[in-house]
Amino acid sequence: MSRLWFLVPCLTVVGAALAAANGVQANAQGTADTLRFVAHEEYIPVGLPSRARPLSLRNPFEGNREAIATGARIFVAYNCVDCHGADGSGAMGPSFQDGRWRFGGSASEVFESIYQGRPEGMPAWGGRISEEQIWMLVAYVRSLTVGDLTTENFSGAEQERMGH
Amino acid sequence: MPAGDYASSRYSELTQITAANAKDLRVSWAFSTGTLRGHEGQPLVIDNTMYVVTPFPNVAYAFDLTKVGQPLKWKFRPRNSQAAIGQACCDVVNRGAAYADGKLFYNLLEGTTVAVNVRDGTQAWRTRVANLERGETITMAPIVVKNHVLVGNSGGELGVRGWIAALDTRTGREVWRAYSAGPDRDVKVGPRFKPFYAHDRGTNLGVSTWPADAWKTGAGAVWGWLSYDPELNLVYHGTSNPGPWNAEQRPGDNKWTCAILARDADTGELVWAFQVTPHDMWDYDAVNENILVDLPIGGSTRKVLVHFDRNGFAYVLDRATGEALLAHPFVPMNWSTGVDLTTGRPTVVPAKATAQGKKVTDICPSLEGGKNQQPAAFSPRTGLFYVPTINLCMDFEARPATYIPGTPYIGASAPEYGGPDGYRGEFMAFDVTTGRKVWGIREPYPVWGGALATAGDVVFYGTLDGWFKAVDAHSGDVLWRFKLGSGVVGNPVTYLGPDGKQYVAIYSGLGGDMGVLIAGDVSASLPHDVRVRGTTLPDIGRWTSWGGVLFVFSL
Repeated sequence: MSRLWFLVPCLTVVGAALAAANGVQANAQGTADTLRFVAHEEYIPVGLPSRARPLSLRNPFEGNREAIATGARIFVAYNCVDCHGADGSGAMGPSFQDGRWRFGGSASEVFESIYQGRPEGMPAWGGRISEEQIWMLVAYVRSLTVGDLTTENFSGAEQERMGH
Repeated sequence: MPAGDYASSRYSELTQITAANAKDLRVSWAFSTGTLRGHEGQPLVIDNTMYVVTPFPNVAYAFDLTKVGQPLKWKFRPRNSQAAIGQACCDVVNRGAAYADGKLFYNLLEGTTVAVNVRDGTQAWRTRVANLERGETITMAPIVVKNHVLVGNSGGELGVRGWIAALDTRTGREVWRAYSAGPDRDVKVGPRFKPFYAHDRGTNLGVSTWPADAWKTGAGAVWGWLSYDPELNLVYHGTSNPGPWNAEQRPGDNKWTCAILARDADTGELVWAFQVTPHDMWDYDAVNENILVDLPIGGSTRKVLVHFDRNGFAYVLDRATGEALLAHPFVPMNWSTGVDLTTGRPTVVPAKATAQGKKVTDICPSLEGGKNQQPAAFSPRTGLFYVPTINLCMDFEARPATYIPGTPYIGASAPEYGGPDGYRGEFMAFDVTTGRKVWGIREPYPVWGGALATAGDVVFYGTLDGWFKAVDAHSGDVLWRFKLGSGVVGNPVTYLGPDGKQYVAIYSGLGGDMGVLIAGDVSASLPHDVRVRGTTLPDIGRWTSWGGVLFVFSL
């Protein structure tokens, strides 16, 4: 306990310095299309800026139908389809239809998942394919959500699925 | 060893449980494995200790069967790369462990073989044998032959290059490795290689039956069961589908994919090879178990290897020479009119040959096969094979595939659906000498769990919707059944407890290719991933859910 209290002033100083350097506004909020870090405020001492600066990553193809169609073709060409299933229904990898995103569902978060990969086998595509192609994939996979799947009452929608 | 004996017969001499008393079976004890996902494989019982290996993260448990409540002696929690989860085509399964000389040997999904000292659960050694970065994982159960532990890779859907390797049981050092395709040196083809059929003879067939360099990403993974004949000193293993599924990208026979290979157990040298499905166009891996038995064929007793293939034929091969003696269909099929025993090759129905940009419909069996990894059992008392089968058909449309390391290399769209007559699986007693199904129990879902035969003339199997059944070996009458906590994709075993009683153990724990990729609706129990219900196994989510539990039964 005493050790923790000793740390607080140091952290406050470091935090203030970072805030000054980055021009951070306390409580700055990311919008749906910008990166948001998970903040555990219970561990952040009073006075320390608790929000990271939102990065301005915007999808240049957001809502662009042509880009979404190209994204669908890229999705097949780079073998995404065989992990995530036809229409993103889920197979080896997670489904894109459920509106649930393990690493965040904003355009920038999905970009990051594709760009840098994720721990359970998602390859890092950054540097292997162009950023423009990644943004088209982002637009496509974010278009696949079918709605709220919280309740399964065994009379709802069905989907053809494929095995390996 | 995983299948009870080197012959992979999954037959036990225990007789306490009989057709007369099986109705009195009850749960003796149960244990949660602490893991979800598919519980393929089976427990191993050695010296009053039961060993259980879970799906990823591949924890091993050692239960003390001499004490009330079966407390753990130890639990072994190996390091195992998270990245392996996304490289495994068909769930993060593990098919079990082998035991020898005070050590338990098994494989980690990340491609490492471990040896654990059974005395105290400490790690004796670990050897990285597979390259995860190229899509190689390991799911198979090893066997130990003399001082070698034999292991093989998974990754037929990721364009790996298949191999089997022998590790020194004392040190874990790799002694030999034999590839399924490539130059003769790599495949271990030398002067001892004498295949039965003329078209299988020649040099570097593992290269010349492929387009340039295609064998390097041509799979032929060794992810199934291994058998061993001590008299001939031969190890038998199957090989997986070629990569990619799009067959137009790999004209030729694609040797030795979809094949059964016989290798010298000490050196790995190839002694004979039989290509079950040359130039596979349907994902018919030949990795199913090879059961070594002596059967009366053509008036004499032959030393044979019996193999119920994905492609729907029950092959009977001379296990010394690789000659095909018989090949009867055991499930509804329409892709072939039969196997020509003078060449060993199946006759393909042209309308069912798959092609790029063409949707070929109603191919039976589907890519899951007439049977998949779930092993059959053989009873020498009845002379019958007890076979868990699948009755699914598929449409298949091939498309261009690009090889990208660590991603699926498939190139096909292949939806699956119920086969003729509406049932999707059948547990059957089959006479391979006549091709006659003696009896069958039709199931609403594919039978993805294995069989156990006993000298009490009771056979056991579990179903995808969670029933565990005891069946009369002669009549097929269901003597007893119990609804488990989850669907069964594992294999029953039986053992004599320290109290002198016969026990039967089975994993419940839905998963595997059928339980994860196909049963989309069941995946809803994964909190981070909710899926739209699948059409291939309608409503299976009403009957079962995920969760690994070991169940043990006795009278």
